[in-house]
Amino acid sequence: MVQTRTLVHRGHPGRRSHKFPRRGERLLFGLIGFVVVLPLWEIVVQAGLIKRVTLSSPSLIATAAVNDLFIKGTLWPHLFASSQYFVLGLGLALLTGVPLGLSLGLFRRLNFFLDPWLSAIYATPTIALVPLIVLVLGLGLESKIFIVWLEAIFVVVVSTMAGVRAAEARYLDLAKSFRASRWLMFQSVIVPSSFPFILTALRLGTTRALVGVVVAEFFSANKGIGFFINFSGTTLRTDRVMLGVIILGLLGVAMGEGVRRIERRYEKWRPDIN
Amino acid sequence: MDTGLALQARDVRMEYVDQATGERLLAVDRVDLDIVEGQFVSIVGPSGCGKSTFLKIVNGLFPASEGTIEIRPAAQGVAHAMVFQDSSLFPWYTIVDNIAYGLVCQGVPRKEARARAKPLIDLVSLTGFEKKFPYQLSGGMQQRANLARALTVDPEILLMDEPFAALDAQTRELMQAELLRIWSEASKTVLFITHQIDEAIYLSDRVLVMSARPGRILADITIDLPRPRRLEIKRSPEFIEYADRIWGLISTQLRPESPVAAAS
Amino acid sequence: MSVAVTSRPQAPGQRGPLGRILDNERLLLGLSGVIIILVLWEIGSRAGAIDRGFFGRPTGIVEAGIKEVQTKRFWGDLTASVSEFGIGYLLAIGLGVPIGLAAGRFRRLQYALDPWLNFFNSLPRIALLPVLVIMFGVFGPASKIAVVFLGAFFSIVIPTMQGVRTTDRRFLDVARSFRASERLRFRSVVIPSTVPFIITGLRLGIARALIGVVTAELYTQTEGIGVLIRRATELRQGDRALFGVLLFTISGVIGVEAIRRVEARFQKWRPTTSLERR
Repeated sequence: MVQTRTLVHRGHPGRRSHKFPRRGERLLFGLIGFVVVLPLWEIVVQAGLIKRVTLSSPSLIATAAVNDLFIKGTLWPHLFASSQYFVLGLGLALLTGVPLGLSLGLFRRLNFFLDPWLSAIYATPTIALVPLIVLVLGLGLESKIFIVWLEAIFVVVVSTMAGVRAAEARYLDLAKSFRASRWLMFQSVIVPSSFPFILTALRLGTTRALVGVVVAEFFSANKGIGFFINFSGTTLRTDRVMLGVIILGLLGVAMGEGVRRIERRYEKWRPDIN
Repeated sequence: MDTGLALQARDVRMEYVDQATGERLLAVDRVDLDIVEGQFVSIVGPSGCGKSTFLKIVNGLFPASEGTIEIRPAAQGVAHAMVFQDSSLFPWYTIVDNIAYGLVCQGVPRKEARARAKPLIDLVSLTGFEKKFPYQLSGGMQQRANLARALTVDPEILLMDEPFAALDAQTRELMQAELLRIWSEASKTVLFITHQIDEAIYLSDRVLVMSARPGRILADITIDLPRPRRLEIKRSPEFIEYADRIWGLISTQLRPESPVAAAS
Repeated sequence: MSVAVTSRPQAPGQRGPLGRILDNERLLLGLSGVIIILVLWEIGSRAGAIDRGFFGRPTGIVEAGIKEVQTKRFWGDLTASVSEFGIGYLLAIGLGVPIGLAAGRFRRLQYALDPWLNFFNSLPRIALLPVLVIMFGVFGPASKIAVVFLGAFFSIVIPTMQGVRTTDRRFLDVARSFRASERLRFRSVVIPSTVPFIITGLRLGIARALIGVVTAELYTQTEGIGVLIRRATELRQGDRALFGVLLFTISGVIGVEAIRRVEARFQKWRPTTSLERR
């Protein structure tokens, strides 16, 4: 008698396979980190295992938050100053970077000409140039805006250039076959194709600009969130340092998420990146 | 299960829950199927009728909700192996490593696996391409490697899921002829899924016609054409008769809006 | 009325003289761009239009460089910077890749880590310097290595994790259909298809690590090439300062090139490797 191997499946129709995540799982596990770390942190510091000055503690940071944000409001002028540098620097970077990126993408020769220098500067950590910049431009508004601009502009240019290159050849060929002028091709094919990439430029530029603001404030400022963090560090007010860091991080996350939402709205236009 | 049968499916149903709408949908509805050892059986049907799903149930990738499938255990080798649609060779493995993969999955040491894969490489006419990477091969050659990979594990039944769907028309024809040649040398039982009626008739001993979703077997047509079959046979009157018959059945299954269905 | 369509017949596969010029165009233009700017810079400096104390001049930078490598202090600085970079970066790889793979593999681990990864990745890491300095002290390499590590770590973990999560389902199906074990699936499908992502992470990590080195050194001012830059700037020695900057630029270029070699070696199976030049 030949033995047969039987595949008998008696699954339950309709039951969700355990492989699919439940809706709340993401939130649940996302919170685990906080639920575990925060109390642990508090306990470790209260017990004296880690000095208060080293890491501060959630309760101290919360107190500082209430103080500096609400009661005494010492943090707001700093935040305001930082946002000034941020907006001006980033705005300038976009205004100069997008056209430059478009030009470099369109005019191949210009690109070849400038490429070695742009690559070299891009490969250099911008912060290495900060002492020089501060020396030349002084300690005022200009040097800060310049630093923010410098940080942000390269990603803006590179992303925009990628956008021009991504304009699919077949759309361009189509336009050419209808005898479209160069300007019309630019308007009707290249700009729309580049748009998602310009949004990427915005997202990356925002991140870099934030870095630029903090860097500038660390080395040449007497206000701003970067200065607040640095100064609090020097005066060993670790609670304020952590507060500043947390606010900065949350700002970064919020801005990144914000731009990502905008990007997603226009996602369907994005040409295939090969 | 009767001796002589390679596969016996009874009453196979598959129900699933649509993730988006939450409805319970039936993909496969009561399929009964007997396949004799050494037979080449095809299933044709309209898009989305569940034929691929049925194949995946046989392969064990999906669980059926009800019913049984019995496969005769092989003296050596595995019960079944699948030949996928295109692009399923691992791009990071060489051809020989890809073909030997099935054996490696069973724990065979790599060197031995490669040695055992060698005759299969010759069988599918890929000698000399062992060290190449998939991107260096044409679509037809990749599918040959795909086939060799499945044959290497010596399956009782070869399951083929529209393997030629992504090939251009001419390569497709050549591959069909190639497949018959390889099949006659390897003498396997084959369950073959396809869209193309011509392909099914040309290749098979039996063609099963599946209804639109939920899939049932509408007809089980024995193809009485002599073997070995040359491609020219596709233009013979008998062939065309089979094609008409099957097309007649399928067109009743097409969606009402389609002009073809309306015309028949 | 007939319209004449004229086109010059060109033998297929043959590049005319124009084609050959085009190939070299990039090289020619690039080279001329470099030379022209260098010359203008040099002339401008000698003519007094460009302040040497701030900007230096090409020949001056070379001179300063030659002088610098003959000092003992320079080599001390260089060793410090290189070791900070090396240790921090290697640590980042050593921890980043396994954690990234694990987080990709275990969905719940990813959920747990996501907020933290997101947070630290969006944060300008320079802001962590005060804390790190309080923790590890100003002197010694520890605080700097920590900065380098943090910079590179997140650049490596996140792409690695994404690589695992986006493993092509088809290949996993193939592995499963041949009854591959969980471990074999991971080894033979997940990891090879994640390698490109890991390499991207490594490339980003180098840039971030270099930034970390400079940042930490400028802040703590104890030793390293970053300190060389700052000292030179304060002394209005533009040549020397830019020499220091140049060292970082060169490191960046070497780093990217090294990653490209690694990529070529690990990605022989790809029809086209990464086209990024920047």
